[in-house]
Amino acid sequence: MIKAIIIDDERNSRDIIALMLGKYCPQVDIADTASDCADGISKIKLHQPQLVFLDLEMPDGTGFDVLQGTQETPFEAVFVTAFEKKFLHAIRFSEVEIILKPIDKESLLQAVQTVTRRIEQQASKHRYRVLLDNFNHGKQTSWNLLLPLAGGQETTIHTTAIEYLESCTDKCAFYMDNGMVLYAERNFRHYADLLIPLRFYQVNNTQMVQLSHIHRVAQDSQHIQLNSGAQLEITERRKKDLLSFYNR
Amino acid sequence: MNRICFLLLYVCYSTSTFAQLPAEDTLTLDLGAPPPSVDLRSYIYSLEAQEDQPLSLQQAASRRFTHDPQLFHTDKRNNGRDHDLWLKLHVRNTGLKDSSLTLFTGWHDYMYWYAAAADGTYTLLSQTGLMLDKGGVERWERYGFPVRVPAGQTRTFLLHIVNKSYDENALMPVLYNALQYERFRNEQLSTYRGEAVVIQVLLGMLLVFLSIAVINYIQLPDRSYLYFAAYILGLILFFALRLESKPYQLSVFHHWPMLKYYWDIPALLFCFYLMYVLFGNAFLNLRERYPYMEQVFSIVAASTGGIIIICFYCIARERYHLPGIIYSYVYLGTLLPLLMVFVALARRSRHHPLVRFFLFGSLCFYLACLGSFLMQIRPLGLISALGELSAPSMLMIAGVLLQAMFFLAGLSYRNKLAHLERTKTQEMLIKQLNKNKELQRKLNEQLEELVKEQTSEILRRKQELEEQRQIQLDIEYDKKLTEIELKAIRAQINPHFIFNCLNSIQLFVMQRDYEYAQKYLSDFSYLIRKTLDFSRRNFISLTDEITYLNTYLGLEKMRFENKMEYDIRVDPTINTTELEVPAMLLQPYVENAVKYGMTNPDQPIGRLTIHFRQLAGDMLECVIEDNGIGINRSKELRTLPKHHQSSGMEISSNRAELLNKMYNTGIHIEIIDKSVRNFTESGTIVRILIPQL
Repeated sequence: MIKAIIIDDERNSRDIIALMLGKYCPQVDIADTASDCADGISKIKLHQPQLVFLDLEMPDGTGFDVLQGTQETPFEAVFVTAFEKKFLHAIRFSEVEIILKPIDKESLLQAVQTVTRRIEQQASKHRYRVLLDNFNHGKQTSWNLLLPLAGGQETTIHTTAIEYLESCTDKCAFYMDNGMVLYAERNFRHYADLLIPLRFYQVNNTQMVQLSHIHRVAQDSQHIQLNSGAQLEITERRKKDLLSFYNR
Repeated sequence: MNRICFLLLYVCYSTSTFAQLPAEDTLTLDLGAPPPSVDLRSYIYSLEAQEDQPLSLQQAASRRFTHDPQLFHTDKRNNGRDHDLWLKLHVRNTGLKDSSLTLFTGWHDYMYWYAAAADGTYTLLSQTGLMLDKGGVERWERYGFPVRVPAGQTRTFLLHIVNKSYDENALMPVLYNALQYERFRNEQLSTYRGEAVVIQVLLGMLLVFLSIAVINYIQLPDRSYLYFAAYILGLILFFALRLESKPYQLSVFHHWPMLKYYWDIPALLFCFYLMYVLFGNAFLNLRERYPYMEQVFSIVAASTGGIIIICFYCIARERYHLPGIIYSYVYLGTLLPLLMVFVALARRSRHHPLVRFFLFGSLCFYLACLGSFLMQIRPLGLISALGELSAPSMLMIAGVLLQAMFFLAGLSYRNKLAHLERTKTQEMLIKQLNKNKELQRKLNEQLEELVKEQTSEILRRKQELEEQRQIQLDIEYDKKLTEIELKAIRAQINPHFIFNCLNSIQLFVMQRDYEYAQKYLSDFSYLIRKTLDFSRRNFISLTDEITYLNTYLGLEKMRFENKMEYDIRVDPTINTTELEVPAMLLQPYVENAVKYGMTNPDQPIGRLTIHFRQLAGDMLECVIEDNGIGINRSKELRTLPKHHQSSGMEISSNRAELLNKMYNTGIHIEIIDKSVRNFTESGTIVRILIPQL
């Protein structure tokens, strides 16, 4: 059994999480519920749960405040929110689970499964520090990105250090500016969606480059040269688009 | 023999000394063996006819002859009048043979040779003379008169000489034997031939000058060439007249020897006065350069013309000697004035280089004339020497040539000056043309600049217009953007709310509370529909707004399990269907009031009131009041970093501005924390003033 606590300011929300957990995830035992941050922190400290379902926005704070207040207590968190846009990057970059309201069965099961595995493997809680770092830094250009590597390994990189990423079937290769190549256990599309707002540009179907690492865009050939000397192909249409992007 | 020797010595003596010889009545000679020549001056008796009263032969024979050796002269002499002279000679032949000698007295105009018969009557043996013999006659042979005296007899001869010229040639009666006469003629011939060569050379040169002048005149029609040509032509005629193959043969004009009289003096006047001044006038361009001198020259020319006419008149009246006299006076009379003219011209020579040529030429000629005159004064005496002023002596010929050459050189120089002038003029013309070109270029440049300026001005104006249009566009764009923004904001009903509502509906469904789910769903649908509807409209009626807020608050109330109460109050005076309010203006404030109004731990139930009131001046007042912790404290409580602030308040602060900008209205929003007014109370009051249009 996994001991869990639900923290949400709306009773309807708390009820439905509990209802669905009871129905689909019987291994999760709801130890208690809380309706705001302060209550939540005290309940966590009291119950020492393995898993916390955490609402993002509450009248007296956010789910991050709860994490901040319970750093010494090790637990896995699953964020439950009606609208994720504001904190999406912070959460997704740090590989923390998130469920969107209204909750559907699949995402709930997926999240619980992932978290259960982590609990079983006693995985590092480093991701929450990464999360809080990203959150506290606010709207910045450099984000911490937690990459799940092969064999359950994890590593954290700065997005500014990424030169370009490349799709490798269901994995994604990160070419760093120090020459290192990291293979993340997620597909290219996942990272492409995440990184596009951070001034990355997909130069072809399988490669995405960070604009600040481009050294030169060849006028006469369909290539771009990076600061490290690497050359990437670029389609004519995208080259035009890229140049206009630069000129903006 | 002794006697002959004595006679020879005597002749030599007498010719050299002009001694007064004792007159002898009859020349007594042995004609069989005569001396080579005998001076007859002491043997000849003479008779001079009075002027204008010529004597007939009978008259002369009956007159008494006197002995007057003063009549004779070996050089030319100016008698100042016609000279009509009769000479008588008695010759006795003491020899044994009848014999003949030749009498030569010189070259004269008219000569008649008579011999007296035994009865005292004279018969004309021969006649000759420069003016008497017509053309085709070999005169030269006839100036020696035969003196035939039979042996032992005495004969008397009469010689009538008339000289009409102002200059009488040498008059010296000499009796030659045949041998001596031949020798004498040869001497004369060689002298004349030499002179003829000189004159021919001179004529040749003058002809060259003439052709040069004529050619130049054709090339450059300048009147001074014409005058010069006339002057040269006069000279040619003058000298051509003197061209004699034999002494006094007048070979050129022998067909009409009168030309000697008709031309000689007038030619000099014509050449050296008339043409000279006319040439000077034209050559020096005195009309412009020296008008006073031009007048003087004109007067001189006119008077010379008059004098020439007088001369011709005199000649026509057979007063041949008068022109010579006139010429002498003219020459001497003009000597000093000419000098003055020369000096006057010389002073101008610095500014007028042509004057030098004119002066040098004139001086050469006049000095040559004067020289020949002065040289002849001693041998001839003053009056006779005057003739030398016009006689073509070597010196004068040189003077004439020099003058002609100087004039010609002057004309050439004048040509050069004219050429220079023309070149200069051309250069000036070219310069002027260049200047004009330059001026034109400058003008063009200025014009271009002007055009450029105007073009740039036009471009500038165009740009200004463009900018204005751009600004206009920008403004319109801004307005559109604002509208779009506003629409976006209006559409932005809190997604959090939407998904929470759906979540609640999900719960009711799962809990099988279908009635509740049904109610929730229909209210939610209404709200979404209205939100979509209002987002397309700028203003909605107050009724619509109130219904919308009611529905919204009802849903919120359900979410929060009736932990909140709300009350919407509208003044009865307000015509809610007619009043209009900006769409979705109030919703965010109401949402905020719900959100923060429920966080007050001291108040278990959140109380929300919305009050619409009509103020004076068509102002609608909307007050949204809650009993939450108040805006200040809620701000403090929010531990979120600034960048994560919720959109609600941001929107509220922007909205009024946007609306005011859009509709040019004065919507005023005031947010008051109740605790500021009274610390025992808590909550927030949002006061919105909406002016009615």
